[in-house]
Amino acid sequence: MSIYVSVQTEDFTVANEYQRLRQITHSAGAVVTFSGLVRDFEVGSGKQSQRDSLKSLTLQHYPEMTERLLEEIIQESQKRWSTLGVTVIHRVGRLLPNDQIVFVGVVSTHRDDAFQAAQFLMDYLKIRATFWKKADVDGTEQWLEAKGSDTAAAARWDGSHRD
Amino acid sequence: MINLLFFGRLGDCALEVDKSILYQDDLATPLDVRDWLAKAHGDLGQVLSEPQVLVSVNKRIVKWDHPLADNDELAFLPPVTGG
Repeated sequence: MSIYVSVQTEDFTVANEYQRLRQITHSAGAVVTFSGLVRDFEVGSGKQSQRDSLKSLTLQHYPEMTERLLEEIIQESQKRWSTLGVTVIHRVGRLLPNDQIVFVGVVSTHRDDAFQAAQFLMDYLKIRATFWKKADVDGTEQWLEAKGSDTAAAARWDGSHRD
Repeated sequence: MINLLFFGRLGDCALEVDKSILYQDDLATPLDVRDWLAKAHGDLGQVLSEPQVLVSVNKRIVKWDHPLADNDELAFLPPVTGG
């Protein structure tokens, strides 16, 4: 099992990350990659339908703790699915709409493990990893609030333990 | 000394706070530190008391009654919003 975790200001290239995963072992039969992008809007706290224009996003994190938590989340995924390699990259600092913000890639022998592990990793990263987003919404800076939908997304994996 | 860190919106509420406090017997747990901060900074005390705020010591999530030691790094963490 090969793990690569990086918290960085620099952008990443999906093709390079894909190659890294693909080359880990010739036992690989599937690579699943996910890239998260910065949206140009934030749903307003008032009316559900209201969309406020987002100018930029600034990400803060807790160095060392974040990396360790990401590694723990990856280890947790290994208790559930059989994977050969995992890459998690998360960017910090100031990002603009359409920028890449997060990458999760999983290589496994069979596709189902890679699909499910990738989704699990993203769901848990959202609720566990120590990142905080500050958004410039129409010229006003505000810290974003955690979403209940993210907690619900992670809860779906409760009980999916492989014994 | 105990080194204090405040993340996310908690940092905005803690701009005036001295981030390095003297380790002493009556600041034996994160809860003691929170209560002590609340005396001088009421607004900060209020946000730190929100149930979803977590606390870590030396980069490990701990309970509020975790014993503190000299040179510990104590961090207050609001709900995370990465991804």
